[in-house]
Amino acid sequence: MVDRVHISDEERALAEALREAPRGALALAGAAVGLLLLAWFLIFFFVFLPRGTVT
Amino acid sequence: MAARTEQDVVRIETRWALAMCGVVLVILAAILYASLRIHVNPPSNVELIDPKTLHLSDEFTEANLGTRVGPDGAIVARIVATQFEFVPRCVVLPAGRRVTLRFASPDVIHGILVSGTNVNTMVVPGYVSQVHTEFQKTGDLLMPCHEYCGLGHSQMLATVRVVPADRFKPDADGRVSCEQR
Repeated sequence: MVDRVHISDEERALAEALREAPRGALALAGAAVGLLLLAWFLIFFFVFLPRGTVT
Repeated sequence: MAARTEQDVVRIETRWALAMCGVVLVILAAILYASLRIHVNPPSNVELIDPKTLHLSDEFTEANLGTRVGPDGAIVARIVATQFEFVPRCVVLPAGRRVTLRFASPDVIHGILVSGTNVNTMVVPGYVSQVHTEFQKTGDLLMPCHEYCGLGHSQMLATVRVVPADRFKPDADGRVSCEQR
């Protein structure tokens, strides 16, 4: 017979926080990558392409 | 998105990885579009030349350097990149017309870029670097050496003088130089 593991309040709070963590990480990483992608396209369209064709 | 189990975490991370692959593919597509549809490519000419006898070659003798309009109307500027100057130091090219720049080096690796344009290539001894472009804006454009070539590298500069097409007047030999007025 296996005893139930006693989960403390602290551990319960930590588990709850970890459940929500991906949302925060996604927001941060998503914002960072989104800004970088935006910067890349701004430079591509407003600096690189206007500088003309080169072959 | 909340993760209730470890499987949720794996699923979220997998979706993130797929999203990042998508970002990379979008950037790649933009580069391919620029290359294939608008003809903006890295110059990739592969042409060999003996760097030790550049001054004796037909093309890169000193008298043949600079801008010349060929019998077929092709506008070609030939420049030698050496330690620590470009020869000639100034070339004239017309705006709005397709031009070709050809570079050779007798000594070490140099690199050139023309400021404000996408003209950018290495100049490697033993090879002729060739770039085709069409300048849109007139003016004196700076062309520095951008590959460290020695102690005088920072002073290695040339000028590309882009003039309106109606002011681009070759002489009887088809040559145009900065000294002409």
